[in-house]
Amino acid sequence: MGFDPNEPEQRGQLKNALIAADITVGELWLRYFSMTGSAGEYEVQAYLQGLISLPVIQRDLLALACNEIIAEKPPLHAPYADQMKGPGPGGQ
Amino acid sequence: MNQLPLDDLTATVARIRGLLLTEEKVDRAVSLLAQAIKESLPGTPGAGVSLMDAEGKRTSSAATDALVEQLDVAQYELGEGPCITAWATGKVVIIDDLRADTRWPHWQSTVASLPVRSVVSAPLIAGKEALGAFKIYSALPGQYGESTGRALSLFAETAATLLAHIQGTETPFRMAESLKASLASRDTINRACGMLMERQGISHERALKQLIHNARVSGTTLVEASEQLASRMPPAES
Repeated sequence: MGFDPNEPEQRGQLKNALIAADITVGELWLRYFSMTGSAGEYEVQAYLQGLISLPVIQRDLLALACNEIIAEKPPLHAPYADQMKGPGPGGQ
Repeated sequence: MNQLPLDDLTATVARIRGLLLTEEKVDRAVSLLAQAIKESLPGTPGAGVSLMDAEGKRTSSAATDALVEQLDVAQYELGEGPCITAWATGKVVIIDDLRADTRWPHWQSTVASLPVRSVVSAPLIAGKEALGAFKIYSALPGQYGESTGRALSLFAETAATLLAHIQGTETPFRMAESLKASLASRDTINRACGMLMERQGISHERALKQLIHNARVSGTTLVEASEQLASRMPPAES
């Protein structure tokens, strides 16, 4: 653990966001990597599990990566019957 | 490319290697599947399995004998045939007698000289995704009816779920594309960082912090914020 008292909270909320938006660690890492993130995928995994500490800039890059992925996902939307694709009721 | 840590590059290459390995696993699984279909249906001279991508292009295939391969190659070259129909419609296709069946005229005339009369093709569907199709052939007409079709589609369902777990057929392509994109994006961001460092005489970390700040304030992505910065005119020399 690092000395930054806010790190556990920042990490916890990142984890919650990943779960809520259904983002995998691999997906997050690839985006973070493309944003010049310097921690490896296993390190990111370890950070999320609270096993290692990351510098502020890396944590913020992870947060930004997560937010960028969320922004690209289609917003949650409950479909109506006429918006359903595929076979209708009873059909296979 | 500056600022690319070796461990990340290694990890990325390892990921690609992993995918190539997985592709091999798919080929092996498909070949085992073709063999299993042939052995579980007595009297079947040949069986074949093809996996297709979203556009109907064949990505992996396996056949128990050369005849099946010949029939298949003709289908994918002509873009018509029972397997393509099964894949596209998601339904089992039964050909009672190939000589009397006119649904695929080009394919029919191409394979007319081959010793094949009955064909059943079942789609491989996992969830909502059509992964491909498999088929069995017989040299005699009228070998397969509705019950064979039902049995095959049950088998197909299990096989498709299994194959989908081994590897989504589109993943390697998507992965390679996203890898290329992420390397380009790293380059853009690092270039923008370099410009900030030069213009303001700050450290790499300070420059990256500023870019993150710009992205947050303007509601753009980090790579967009970097592109904006890089395309802006440099401050006039004083």
